[in-house]
Amino acid sequence: MAGSEPRRPRGVRVTQEDVRRLCEFLYRRTGMLFDDNKRYYIDRRLVERIEATKSESFPAYFAILRSDADHEIEQLINAFTVNETYFNREEHQLRCMTSDLLGNVIRGKRPGESIRIWSIPCSSGEEPYSIAIWLMENWRLVDSYNIEIVGSDIDTRALKAAGEGVYGARALMRLSRDVIGRYFQPGADGEHRIDPGLRESIQFTRANLIDPSEMARYRGFDIIFCRNVLIYFDDSSRRIAAENLYDCLAAGGYICLGHSETMSRISPLFRVCRFSDAIVYQRPESDHDGR
Amino acid sequence: MPFVKRDVTARAPAGGQPADDTVPHADLAPHIAALGSPDIEVRWSAARALGGRADAVPALTTALGVEQVARVREAIMTALMRVGDEASVVALLPYLRSQDAAERGASIEALQALPGAILPFMAPLLADGDSDVRLLATELARNMPAEDATQLLCRLLEREQHPNVCAAAIDVLAEVGTLDAVPALEACAERFAGTPFLPFAVSVAIARISDTDR
Repeated sequence: MAGSEPRRPRGVRVTQEDVRRLCEFLYRRTGMLFDDNKRYYIDRRLVERIEATKSESFPAYFAILRSDADHEIEQLINAFTVNETYFNREEHQLRCMTSDLLGNVIRGKRPGESIRIWSIPCSSGEEPYSIAIWLMENWRLVDSYNIEIVGSDIDTRALKAAGEGVYGARALMRLSRDVIGRYFQPGADGEHRIDPGLRESIQFTRANLIDPSEMARYRGFDIIFCRNVLIYFDDSSRRIAAENLYDCLAAGGYICLGHSETMSRISPLFRVCRFSDAIVYQRPESDHDGR
Repeated sequence: MPFVKRDVTARAPAGGQPADDTVPHADLAPHIAALGSPDIEVRWSAARALGGRADAVPALTTALGVEQVARVREAIMTALMRVGDEASVVALLPYLRSQDAAERGASIEALQALPGAILPFMAPLLADGDSDVRLLATELARNMPAEDATQLLCRLLEREQHPNVCAAAIDVLAEVGTLDAVPALEACAERFAGTPFLPFAVSVAIARISDTDR
């Protein structure tokens, strides 16, 4: 479908009012906010979902959506989020990590101490490897600390792929040729395999964000990247996940969410921190700090 | 490589607290006692450990009544929400009357996640003597099945005197109402003809409902 107009079921017309209703619904359910300048983006995805559900009109589709028939809310969210992942996705958060977050994290640490970074969900590994490469390329103190990067996901097939560390050209599109040359080995069919040393440096584990007993294994993280997953949960699961993540962070630790997510709508446990490159959330140092 | 790899399972939970999930079968007493600990972390862990345990609801209810730390209150509310039975709803309802907006918000969010359990409480809430409670209760209907929400909110509209409560109900009906709501909406618009924003809100709601149900 890329590069072509979506087919529209005969007679389907999406009006500005339809789009406004959909946007209100999306915001209420997910916190995802779209304004008028995203109209084409919204129309395109909305029409795709109308077509996929064989709805004859927006109202018919909206009724399906509201009743969440066949998990349509999840399908719609999928359509509105970029499911494909790649190296250095949401690069501004990586910049924020090296320009602001790590400076604060090391304030309480001596050289040689550990810095713990967690990517959950890590999917097929692009994010934790991106973090490692970004640190190697952009943080001058990278050799001064023991940096521990953990990638976790609920999907064991994704974890297997992460452990193998083989990626196609599309996943590497944001990396320069130099960086690819330094951290990947060329393989067959244009694929690239992550440097074995880097691959062995990152631990991949299975974890379920809403299972407190599983999450109890993970404690003391200084930075957690938890992008584009909470929006899939219902209200109750989101609250449980937020409390679990709180417990997994060290006091003063940071959590980075996806660009369309906001912890403020999920839980009051965290403090909003606005940095020049990104908005992130912080576990307060104490219960009297920022509360 | 500056990176190190450790077995995450070997790491002890922070604060020396047991890494408990809910307590499956074990003795609840230590966790219930921990709800009264002077240590915030201990109370927080206890509240989290008791999530989903119906037999812990009385203790969680008591703890919520005295807990001063927002984070622990949040965990207690989540624990009650995870139980989701009538007793946990009864425990959460008083906080709809809280003077603290954050507490009211937390209570609404927890109750909204329990549309089935809250249903028997909706009629009295929507008839409450406090207009703020009636207004907040309209929001609880938003996650209910359309037929239930329509019936409850239409009954409210038929007798409600406070324009802001009507406006809140109309807003929810605009999203979840069925065509059955139209007569009550029209009657409301007529009754509040002198309060222009209400007839306008009704017209928007009817247009939306009609559009959705066509």
